[in-house]
Amino acid sequence: MASNFWTSSHYKQLLDQEEVDVVHPLDREKGINLEDFKLIKMHMANYIGKLAQNVKVRQRVVATAVTYMRRVYTKKSMTEYDPRVVAPTCLYLASKAEESTVQARVLVYYTRKLYSDEKYRYEIKDILEMEMKILEALNYYLVVFHPYRSLSQLLQDAGMNDTQICWGLVNDTYKMDLILIHPPHLIALACIYVASVLKDKENTAWFEELRVDMNVVSLQS
Amino acid sequence: MSEVDHLLSKKVADRYLKREVLGEGTYGVVYKAIDTKTGQTVAIKKIRLGKQKEGVNFTALREIKLLKELKDPNIIELIDAFPHKGNLHLVFEFMETDLEAVIRDRNIVLSPADIKSYLQMTLKGLAFCHKKWVLHRDMKPNNLLIGPRGQLKLADFGLARIFGSPDRRFTHQVFARWYRAPELLFGAKAYGPAVDVWAAACIFAELLLRRPFLQGNSDIDQLGKIFAAFGTPKPSQWPDLQYLPDYVEYQYVTGQPLRQLFPMASDDALDLLLKMFMYDPKARISAQQALEHRYFSSGPPPTEPASLPRPPPKKESMNSKISDFNQREGPTVLSPPRKSRRVMPHREGFEGNAFQIDKVEDRANEIRPAPSERSEHVPMSIDFSVFGSRPPSRPTINSVDRSHLKRKLDLEFQLPEEE
Repeated sequence: MASNFWTSSHYKQLLDQEEVDVVHPLDREKGINLEDFKLIKMHMANYIGKLAQNVKVRQRVVATAVTYMRRVYTKKSMTEYDPRVVAPTCLYLASKAEESTVQARVLVYYTRKLYSDEKYRYEIKDILEMEMKILEALNYYLVVFHPYRSLSQLLQDAGMNDTQICWGLVNDTYKMDLILIHPPHLIALACIYVASVLKDKENTAWFEELRVDMNVVSLQS
Repeated sequence: MSEVDHLLSKKVADRYLKREVLGEGTYGVVYKAIDTKTGQTVAIKKIRLGKQKEGVNFTALREIKLLKELKDPNIIELIDAFPHKGNLHLVFEFMETDLEAVIRDRNIVLSPADIKSYLQMTLKGLAFCHKKWVLHRDMKPNNLLIGPRGQLKLADFGLARIFGSPDRRFTHQVFARWYRAPELLFGAKAYGPAVDVWAAACIFAELLLRRPFLQGNSDIDQLGKIFAAFGTPKPSQWPDLQYLPDYVEYQYVTGQPLRQLFPMASDDALDLLLKMFMYDPKARISAQQALEHRYFSSGPPPTEPASLPRPPPKKESMNSKISDFNQREGPTVLSPPRKSRRVMPHREGFEGNAFQIDKVEDRANEIRPAPSERSEHVPMSIDFSVFGSRPPSRPTINSVDRSHLKRKLDLEFQLPEEE
């Protein structure tokens, strides 16, 4: 997506790591600690990814859905907002917002296929109800920026052709809350950096030229 | 979640005092309300949830998504959104009337300075959208709302889209037909902000003429009307034309001198109009460039919004969708009043007007589409005798292309609710 990141609601909503790593009091009462909280979100991100593979939507829809899910849990508890319905609903909402709508009944069909567990059983009406609540939790901000676009531009600029590995790394960043904390182009840069370390490529000169805060990179490992 | 529901119902009761219903929009009722928190009058759109069990209406979602990012004096403000009794409600700033009502009100005289002011505000809103990489795709006077202090604002972003990703394909079935750019009529799927500029040019022309400029009654006829005004595009004017998906060859016609079509307009106005009506989308002036055109710096300066002539606020028809709705019943007054006809004697051939059937017929023969279309061709004279007595009703996306749109992936779930 084009559009200007610096004037967007996404930029204004960026949080600090400390703000993201807050377990809701209601969840804490139930004995969920920060590690559990992170793990559940990671699991839900995977769930969204798996669902998306089945319903066949673009990667950016997945990325948007995961972002919605992570944003919801900066404000709402998992006790009230069951991740097992939030995850498919976020994908549903993201598919609409990214202009590649998936029907709710199709999503419900695949949630059943993926998980036979009773606890994952939700009906269309649950998804639609949750959609409204998620919209509210997101404060109706639906436009999200992702590192994919800057990634290809940066790779071109660096004269690298490791698109595949970098793209994969960017996908992996959604297992964490990075998209809530850092501007997408920095995430893209960090992925390129990691890729060059992995491949033993000498890119220091190029990175120095960019003069960006490389602290992000450490968060990546 | 009874607690949540309780809080929300309180919000409606507490924050917004519901007033009279303003009308029926494409996806629900619009009513007037007072925001008790700010004392502001607002318009609340209640979004009906579709019967298709597809949750929040796709069109409404588009509007929310984009308006949350677009804050500008010339774009309608989305103040708030909240669910209430299972329906989503959107709170907009209250607007008194729209540009269509201004254009159609025979008691209003629009001076060149007034026209300049309305156009400037339109282009400012549009330039802002384009700067933010948003295409409006439904520009028409009816969607340009006018506030209590005369400010014009772009509204109805239900068809708007973010553009700028390379190789994205969009549907070409956007805009009400009379405002549709030629590249869309030829089926272009990769298009850009130039489509909005064309529509703005149509609105500019409509402000000058006080009636819709190019009133085609089908897509083919729309192109015919465009070519009759500006001449069939030559390859030199628009090199990419022949590569467009629905390209058909039209018999060559020469256009009319713009001066003849707009006898009252200044030279600067005509120059800008011509640049906004460029055939080749790549050559068409951008909204930002248009604002920098000397038309806006030369005299007379644009009228202050607060001093612009406006129709007296009426009981109904206050919001974009509503006037649209009312209009479907009964004949609409689209032909110009006699007076203006006398002042502009050269404007023949551009309206399905009973007085001018003969001339229109001649022209219709010239612009007859390519042979492949000819078999379905209805003799123009029949068409026009019909329209002579009753002007063609204003096409909207909703009425004309809905069945087509429905088939598009793009709008999968926006099923007509009035049908």
